[in-house]
Amino acid sequence: MGGLFAYLDPGSGSMIVQAIVGGVAAVAVAGKFYWRRFLGFVGIRKKNDS
Amino acid sequence: MESRVERGSFRDPDSRVFYAGGSVHRALSERGLADWEALAATSLFRDKVAEGKLVGTEQLAEPNGLPAEIDADLVAAVLRHERVPVVSYPYEWPFGMLKDAALLQLELLLGALDEELILKDASPYNVQWRGTQPVFVDVGSFERQREGEPWAGYRQFCTLVLYPLMLQAYKGVPFQPWLRGSLEGIEPAEMRRLLSFRDRFRRGVLTNVVLHAKLETRYADREVKQDLKRAGFHAELIRANARKLRKLVQRLEWNPGRTTWSTYRTSNPYDEPDAAAKLDFVREAAGARRRRLVWDLGCNDGRFTRVAALHADYTVAVDADAAVVEALFRELRDEKADTILPLVGNLADPSPGLGWRGQERRPLLDRGRPDLTLALALVHHVALTSNVPVRDFLDWLAGLETELVIEFPTRDDPMVQRLLARKGPGANPDYDTETFERALNERWRIERRETLPSGTRILYRASPSA
Repeated sequence: MGGLFAYLDPGSGSMIVQAIVGGVAAVAVAGKFYWRRFLGFVGIRKKNDS
Repeated sequence: MESRVERGSFRDPDSRVFYAGGSVHRALSERGLADWEALAATSLFRDKVAEGKLVGTEQLAEPNGLPAEIDADLVAAVLRHERVPVVSYPYEWPFGMLKDAALLQLELLLGALDEELILKDASPYNVQWRGTQPVFVDVGSFERQREGEPWAGYRQFCTLVLYPLMLQAYKGVPFQPWLRGSLEGIEPAEMRRLLSFRDRFRRGVLTNVVLHAKLETRYADREVKQDLKRAGFHAELIRANARKLRKLVQRLEWNPGRTTWSTYRTSNPYDEPDAAAKLDFVREAAGARRRRLVWDLGCNDGRFTRVAALHADYTVAVDADAAVVEALFRELRDEKADTILPLVGNLADPSPGLGWRGQERRPLLDRGRPDLTLALALVHHVALTSNVPVRDFLDWLAGLETELVIEFPTRDDPMVQRLLARKGPGANPDYDTETFERALNERWRIERRETLPSGTRILYRASPSA
């Protein structure tokens, strides 16, 4: 598949909202997202992961 | 074959609209072509085109006729689209039209997800109208889904569609001036500030507005796409969100109270004999020959629009009062009318050119010249309420080079008296029958003149004098 850019900036905050409000299925995704952020914050997970 | 680019189509480099030989074309990049091929192969595309919800589209054998502004080396294919009769913009739509446009966007998004496609944006400008039937015209919005990515159009859906609808439904504030003032719509942080504490508990506000605004500020400079992907974001979440948004939009309602104009017909100053004579006059003028495009300026409840529309390919009905346009839209939509387009607009402050170079969105006149214009019960409001000089108003009308049916309420007319009484004696001295008729004569050939039974209203049918 070609380039992965989108011409429209999806907005970081706008993307996270979608991971939070998507009902039951979203809980796991949002939980994992924030858990990984937390691990990154306390230095357990290296930043270059992203 | 002469061709020119659509000035409003430059944001998406994979898909650019241009006009050639009187039809609408779209130049696709390599990537745009692959997306189009993926869409064209689906039953979604065939079904929605057949239902009239997606614009009819075919791929040309050769990418010919490109305008100079588009680099031919970057074009892999050219599509040709069916034309919509008259282009209109969300800031000209009443609430119900923006709502129907929103529901069509979400229907297509959900349909696309089933085909492993997605809409790359959510601009309501991608929706146009055949009368009161919405049609999605931006085939270039469909692209192949990318695994693990949220919907890129969600933010735009909020700022240009959802928040404007909420503003009208929850606050009773018209969204049209805002959308006309900002082509990007209402930002999440702005929307949050517009809502009271109590409003936060209204449907959809806590998540789509409050949380959205907060996260936007918090993550303004941070890249999260990859993190979300690793956390397992998947297309089912987009589908769940789209369904929620659809439910939310379906429940947003606006029921305008009585406005001056929505009760105009029942409380208006002219009686039934006048109305009947006026209908006959309009019927005769409109029936003289078939017109391509009719404008009804100050259409109110659309009574005369409907008569004129019987003899026209397409009719645009404009009124400054969003409440009467909303009512007319609902009536026409229930009849599935596809040749009358109701729009909100004020003649004394018409839609300007907007956006990049002031050309991204065009003035109404640039979107189709009428060959018959109705201006019924209008000139006294333009002249006395907005203080536009009578001659200036006629000059503007003459510039349309249109046939004209115009009504002139004399200074003795009760409505005119009411408007003048507010201003004091001697106001608007240029507003009198003799001046009006002389000015009309200088610019037009008067074909017919009839005084209505009340004796205070005169109808004219006129043709361009050149």
